[in-house]
Amino acid sequence: MHEVSIAQSLLKIAVDNCKKEGYKGIEIIKVKIGRASGIMPDALSFAFDAVKIGTIAKKATLTIDAIPVTGFCEGCKSSFTVEEAYVLSCPQCGDLSIRIETGHELHIYEMDVF
Amino acid sequence: MKVKVVSHILEANDRIAAENRKLFKESGVYVINLMSAPGAGKTSLIEKTILELSGKSKIGVIEGDIAGSDDARRIANLHIPVVQINTGGACHLDANMISEVLGDLPLNNLDLLIIENVGNLVCPAEFKVGENIKVMLLSIAEGDDKPLKYPLMFQESSALILNKMDLLPYTNASIEKIRKNSLSLNPKLKIFEVSCRTGEGIGKWVKWLQSLIK
Repeated sequence: MHEVSIAQSLLKIAVDNCKKEGYKGIEIIKVKIGRASGIMPDALSFAFDAVKIGTIAKKATLTIDAIPVTGFCEGCKSSFTVEEAYVLSCPQCGDLSIRIETGHELHIYEMDVF
Repeated sequence: MKVKVVSHILEANDRIAAENRKLFKESGVYVINLMSAPGAGKTSLIEKTILELSGKSKIGVIEGDIAGSDDARRIANLHIPVVQINTGGACHLDANMISEVLGDLPLNNLDLLIIENVGNLVCPAEFKVGENIKVMLLSIAEGDDKPLKYPLMFQESSALILNKMDLLPYTNASIEKIRKNSLSLNPKLKIFEVSCRTGEGIGKWVKWLQSLIK
């Protein structure tokens, strides 16, 4: 449900930046969404299509890069990538001293404007 | 034409949360953001906490609900300043909703502000409102599988209060499993076992809370 709040926030950032730079409209907005951010990409796309109506981003498409959860294990000194949204212990050796490196992203990073 | 905009999507919320935080600090009020599923006992815990701190700390409460003001009425009966926020459908409180009602509370006269978030184990964990700490309530009747099903809330919280301990004999919940999985998600989590109905364990929680307010 809170994907609507996230869609409104990202739309505001995009529209404000576009206007500030003097452009008329937005074609593409690119975001990075980590698997552990709690955001469902499909729900975000759906919410975005609803909130963009009537704005200078009304024809914009949202491109979502899903970032996997990756980390480093201090136990076996190796990096790992997992499919799940959360990881509690090293998938290789089971050690608990792991450091999560990616997967919590919630960033807008680029737009195509005209 | 491509434009680089490297920006965190919740930046606007985080900025307002930081303003709220600053105002709380200047007013000398300690703020907790209380989160749980619906029916876990947030309002009951607030009532017990108010009674336990009666005459010791000055408390204010913000009640967040999708609709209705039953909770605010319960708190007002204890002669505590309270504001009800109705989110009108939104599943969480955000920093701006809090900012808008702060003028209705005597912040300079408070030691502790308890913000009761909307009952939900997912979204409230993602929105800062300007709190010092997040506290999570889990009633044991909800089951011992919740830490691994809703990990973010357990990771974001400083304290986990296990409520309805008096019902333990009637459930299949394992306190040991809840403890083990919660601590593996968040090794610094403080865990309290309470029953708002019998009053068991409330003293320990309030003592810990008092140590933070001072």
